[in-house]
Amino acid sequence: MPTQPITKNKNFNARQVKRIFVRRLGIVIWVSFLVAAVQSMVFFALFDPVYLWQLSSWHIDISYWQGYAMGFACFWAFLFAAGYVIGIVMALPRAQLAKRIGTK
Amino acid sequence: MSTQERETIELNLYQAHKKIYPREVKGRFQFKRKLAVVVLLGLFYLVPWLQMGGEQAILFDLPNRRFHILGLILWPQDFIFLALLLIIAAFSLFFFTALAGRLWCGYACPQTVWTEVFIWMEQLTEGGRNQRMKLDQAPWTWNKFRKKTSKQILWVTFALWTGFTFVGFFTPIRELANHIWIWQLGPWEMFWLFFYSFATYGNAGFLREQVCLYMCPYARFQSAMFDKDSLIISYDEQRGEPRMRGKKRRTENNPGDCIDCTLCVQVCPTGIDIRDGLQYECIACAACIDACDEVMEKSGMPKGLIRYTTEHSLSGKPSRILRPRVILYALVLFGLITGFVTAFMMRSPISINVLHDRNTFYRMVDSNTIENVYTLKIMNKGRETAQYQLSASGLPELSVVTDVDSDMLQAEPGQLISVPIKIRAPKKIANQRIHNILLSVMSGQHKNSEEVKYFGYKK
Ligand code: SF4
Ligand code: SF4
Repeated sequence: MPTQPITKNKNFNARQVKRIFVRRLGIVIWVSFLVAAVQSMVFFALFDPVYLWQLSSWHIDISYWQGYAMGFACFWAFLFAAGYVIGIVMALPRAQLAKRIGTK
Repeated sequence: MSTQERETIELNLYQAHKKIYPREVKGRFQFKRKLAVVVLLGLFYLVPWLQMGGEQAILFDLPNRRFHILGLILWPQDFIFLALLLIIAAFSLFFFTALAGRLWCGYACPQTVWTEVFIWMEQLTEGGRNQRMKLDQAPWTWNKFRKKTSKQILWVTFALWTGFTFVGFFTPIRELANHIWIWQLGPWEMFWLFFYSFATYGNAGFLREQVCLYMCPYARFQSAMFDKDSLIISYDEQRGEPRMRGKKRRTENNPGDCIDCTLCVQVCPTGIDIRDGLQYECIACAACIDACDEVMEKSGMPKGLIRYTTEHSLSGKPSRILRPRVILYALVLFGLITGFVTAFMMRSPISINVLHDRNTFYRMVDSNTIENVYTLKIMNKGRETAQYQLSASGLPELSVVTDVDSDMLQAEPGQLISVPIKIRAPKKIANQRIHNILLSVMSGQHKNSEEVKYFGYKK
């Protein structure tokens, strides 16, 4: 699992570790969903998705619903990626964790 | 939060979820909560059906990028109002949290409100707490199957209707109903209808208190708005302890008022024991107050062993309502609301934007007159087609000239037009390098003006 729980003096078994991972994954998905919703609201209030796509490098014609949906999906995907990577980076490297557990 | 607490909470996250069977409870606070449920859900389900002047009274028409709110039309240019409104909502939440704790959670949060209804349906089909627990443990029989199926039918129907209503805020609900009737939903209507139905079903039917415990951001940061004078629901430890029941209670000479019936635990929708102190799981639904009051009444003791109170009054200190924090929130809120109302009243159905020609400051028209060239953009935010007249003021003898026909100065509702205009002035009068003049656009009784720079004739 990419993210190991940071809890002192706890040894988790494989099932618990998996559950922790799934929970954390759920949290990242959920929070990025919430933020993507707000982001879409603000973004599309300021910019018109249909014009934006016409101005884009591909000059595509789309409907409003497609525009909103694609925008929202994009925001969600990128926010999820950000959250996921932050999660991995925030979890302390194994070596450091081992040391901290050993010292206490 | 101490590290100890943090660890236990984190550990809870790693445990498998245990289903909670909240016990049904009646009382004055539950009555208020039910009232809130009826009013809020009633509004939610009825409002999209309201008509006003031949169109849906409240409609967030995303494809056409306009919001209809009680006869008003808001355009994307009015986004500032929406933003302000959201900020106002946030500050009211802060204000009420500081004042009265998690009122929002207990009475108004959609999560609580829909969960209430789903639990009510569960009680209707499967019976009370004990019956439900027994039913879940019992082997599958015809009876169990029948009860579970009728519950699911109720839940699913209600969830679908909720999804339908939700979509009805974004596309005209009567058309939507018609589309469903002939089963010709557009892909987006279909998607959102089922998505929102599914979300309702999952959140109110299964996740319930877990949404509050694990998913809700407000539940995590609300404690930042609390202080020792905020209303909380609390067990009066001094009065209640030592808790004891039954025979021990009769023989002991000085028992506390808590008879340890655990009713307050059984009614709690988040499955906590309020007697352990204030916990972040508590959504302040006041179910335990009602349960305990009833018990106190029956056993002839004064009510209020569990009650709305504050940390200060629990520890015998006086509580204040007006604290710097509350006053601050109230002031900000007041400022925001005043700002919003004024801005809204001054909102003009004509929105204008003037750009000065980038290439020249001014041009000579003849030996006595100069002109500045601008691009004028007008958006019609009104409800009817509008014809515009232009005028300029701020210097004597200004005149506005356009080369375009008058029907180019006409805009349909929601239309944005862009016209090149020239403003002329005698060069003797416009003799400074820069003048500030006022360009006005009029249509009927509506008028909007913008200050623009005018480059004068100066050697
Ligand atoms: S904790 Fe969050 S989801 Fe739960 S009732 Fe409060 S605001 Fe609603
Ligand atoms: S402790 Fe009482 S007020 Fe808090 S959630 Fe449980 S029943 Fe509701």
